[in-house]
Amino acid sequence: MPANNRSAHPFYIIAGTMVCLLALSSVNNSFSLQGYRFRKVDLLADIKKEIPARISKQRPLAQKPAPDTLHATDSLQAAQMPAHTRPSYDFMTYTGIQENFDTASAGMQHFLQALQELKEGKRRKVRIAYFGDSMIEGDLITSDLRDSLQAIFGGAGVGFVPVTSIVAAFRGTIRHTFSDNWTDYHFKNNPPEDVLLGLSGHAFFPEAESWAKYSPVQKRRLDRFKRVSVFYGPVAGNCNVAINNKVYTLTGTAPLNELSLRQDTLQRSVLLQYAGGEPLPFYGLSFESDTGIYVDNFSFRGISGVELGKLRSRMLQQMQRSHPYDLVVLHYGANVLFRPEATDYSWYQQLMQRVLASLRSNWPRTSFLIVGTADKAYKKADHYVTAPGVPALLKVQHALAQEHGTAYWNLYAAMGGEGSMTHWVEGDTILANKDYTHFNRHGAARVGALLYKAIMDEFKQEVHPYSGSY
Amino acid sequence: MEKIIDIDVQKLLSTLLYNPEDPVLFNSAFFFYFFALFLLCYLLFSGSKKGRVWVFTLFSLYFFYKACGYYVGLVILSAIVDFNLARWLHQAQRRSLRVFLLVFSIVVNIGLLFYFKYTDFFIGIINEVTAGHIRPLHLLLPIGISFYTFENLSYTIDVYRREIPPVDDFMDYLFFLSFFPKLMMGPIVRAADFIPQISQRYYLTAEDIGTGMYLIISGLFKKMVISDFIYLNFVQYIFDDPSKHTGLECLLGVYGYALVIYCDFSGYSDMAIGIARWTGFRIPPNFETPYRSASITEFWRRWHISLSSWLRDYLYIPLGGNRKGKVRQYINLALTMLIGGFWHGASWNFIFWGGLHGTALALDKVRLTWLKRSGMVFSGWGAILLKGLGILLTFHFVCFCWIFFKAATFHDAWALIHQVAYDFQPEIWKELYLGYRTVFALMLLGFGLHFLSASGGQHVMEKALARVPVWGSVAILVIFIWLLIQVKTTQPMIPIYFQF
Repeated sequence: MPANNRSAHPFYIIAGTMVCLLALSSVNNSFSLQGYRFRKVDLLADIKKEIPARISKQRPLAQKPAPDTLHATDSLQAAQMPAHTRPSYDFMTYTGIQENFDTASAGMQHFLQALQELKEGKRRKVRIAYFGDSMIEGDLITSDLRDSLQAIFGGAGVGFVPVTSIVAAFRGTIRHTFSDNWTDYHFKNNPPEDVLLGLSGHAFFPEAESWAKYSPVQKRRLDRFKRVSVFYGPVAGNCNVAINNKVYTLTGTAPLNELSLRQDTLQRSVLLQYAGGEPLPFYGLSFESDTGIYVDNFSFRGISGVELGKLRSRMLQQMQRSHPYDLVVLHYGANVLFRPEATDYSWYQQLMQRVLASLRSNWPRTSFLIVGTADKAYKKADHYVTAPGVPALLKVQHALAQEHGTAYWNLYAAMGGEGSMTHWVEGDTILANKDYTHFNRHGAARVGALLYKAIMDEFKQEVHPYSGSY
Repeated sequence: MEKIIDIDVQKLLSTLLYNPEDPVLFNSAFFFYFFALFLLCYLLFSGSKKGRVWVFTLFSLYFFYKACGYYVGLVILSAIVDFNLARWLHQAQRRSLRVFLLVFSIVVNIGLLFYFKYTDFFIGIINEVTAGHIRPLHLLLPIGISFYTFENLSYTIDVYRREIPPVDDFMDYLFFLSFFPKLMMGPIVRAADFIPQISQRYYLTAEDIGTGMYLIISGLFKKMVISDFIYLNFVQYIFDDPSKHTGLECLLGVYGYALVIYCDFSGYSDMAIGIARWTGFRIPPNFETPYRSASITEFWRRWHISLSSWLRDYLYIPLGGNRKGKVRQYINLALTMLIGGFWHGASWNFIFWGGLHGTALALDKVRLTWLKRSGMVFSGWGAILLKGLGILLTFHFVCFCWIFFKAATFHDAWALIHQVAYDFQPEIWKELYLGYRTVFALMLLGFGLHFLSASGGQHVMEKALARVPVWGSVAILVIFIWLLIQVKTTQPMIPIYFQF
């Protein structure tokens, strides 16, 4: 081989590098510098024996180990037992709605009874207020739940829609546009003391020529408006609005008032225009028909649920008088888990206790359902795994449900438990986004279907406890 | 201290087998061992051509197997078919027989590609049109099939055109087709360029070492530091659900993606070319700072050159090129790009992307013809200004097309455009900057290197690396890989969803 032929050099370079890296791998080479931790180089990680992981103490222990198949047979078992002696579930794995708490409280009782009355024609409407964060933005999850429930229990219409919304363009269940001169006070921008926020967490103040327009979409039960209600604050002087160019003088003086109109069958859309007078807060419109079940979507991006504590008793009580809800769903968690490895959520528990106490005392007859957080994965050593915070938060959410006598549904378990978010993101049918937190449209539809099934299982048990078939 | 050399034999064995969930990449530890062992064997047998060909081919076939399991059989099968077809093509004198053999080769190659890559797409269309329920096949796409199909075709077409003689030795042809550096992401190599290099002895100069080293390091840097980091920590969140992000984020996401796809693709090409260079093979460059192009015509001369030149030689020119009048030329251009778009993947998005580029190329031809006819020449500041404008316009047009290339559906693509047009919200820039500082710093670095680096810079680096002794190269590579591991294992940033 001639002296200047370097054909052996690639081998020397690669082999030399490999030897150095292997040598480096054999010592613990991770170190910290000025607070930054450099990571270990380990060229043998793939083929080394795994050191058995220490059993995590953070995982909440089951109240009672229950077989995974429980949810498949529970309707039968439950059917043969009076409600109060139902088996106690492992709240970490049970995929149905849990309401077997010690506190003698309503759970889902009121809601299920209302459903039955609706079914029997003894009642005209049942309403669900579904509170959540970005997970339900754009009517995700709620639209599927609404559609399924309305198919069984009747009703047509999208329910509540605020005056303006950051996701209006992407809401598939109504076409919604608005002028940009509404002043939006909300949970996050410190509204003045005298501004009363609505259930959606917003209060919208008009200026001259402010408007909002709503049109139905070509979908089952959403393709025309029947009854339209406008929610607004107390009128002190004189205030006019035009709805489809017809002027109405607002007269309500309660903290929350409702202007309810039957949609003109000649008009497809609703155009709300502020028509002068003293500006007062507007909250939104509600689209319902005369009977049936309605699911109102109250999404607010980036909140943890604690913000609901800012809703005042006056607003809550007035709402319940004019537009009563039979079930309140609280679906939070994504924004509580901002540090995936944090496992202490006692701060959240404390803050939510106050929120729940306030909601429960203002709406004493309403059923409450806490939806435990969805699975959330984070990247650990090259793979996406369930964040340790998820079981920890579920435990706190379950404890909250127990303490306040609300029903509880473990979404994490319903999704498939540990590692399910990774499957939802990386599976053949992509159900969730690459942030390993949010569902996409398909995933949201699946969650809506899972929740619908959980509710219906409960309904069948409660209403026909001895027949076992429905 | 934990025990280190505690190797799990079961795991070691399973690492050596095909695992659909763990494809081999040039940046994996597996590839490192593979490459070292390969270089050793290659060196040992480098004395004879036969030795080199066998060692290289066996390693390449194993690499194929490791990447896509028994689909490795497809490479061998298509090598057998095209090797023999080319020989018969060469021997045959009757025109009709030659045409038949050529058509047969095209049908077999395109047919295979179609079967694996496009069947489900067409089943989808048929189901849509007829409201039918034909079950999709859900075939796993054999890795590299898009590349080696085109390589086979260029070979048989060249032989048909009597531009090159057929290869004498089957092993030479299998070697060419399976050559592992270009296996997964190209470039598309022409037999005419490659085959003659097989019989040259394995001889490397200091310059070969320096250039190879430079290409491997810069390729890894582009792929792992710039592309992967920006994609994982920013771009994927935007494209996942554009409607959840403001217009400013979406726009930056598109710019980010422009850098990501360039660095990913060209980084991979650089590595392939660098590795090939170290084994004694020269492959022409596949990218030449494409975003510095002042027109879309120029862009396609600098972007994925091996594909665009393939499309030109084997599609555009046979269609008639510019020889059948202006109108036909425009149609040919549009058609070529439409098919080129479809080559990237079986979806309407890619077809639309190709259509956009084809239309732009045709319009650019009109402009060029008009310029030529009017005899207009710009000089001085005017020329510089015009060039700057051209670069800006071309870059943004290419970015616009990337939206369709990357978005999962048309719905997502339009949602992104909607956000940029109607929901820009520039006031969040500060929070955005604070949230993704590292990402934006890397984007700035990436674009800075792309637009500002002098063309001589690469040459200087290669020269410098050529002078480094072996131990120095080892030190550089060890430090570089340590750095890569630090970047690769950082916790991905959690996306920010701006409230308003």
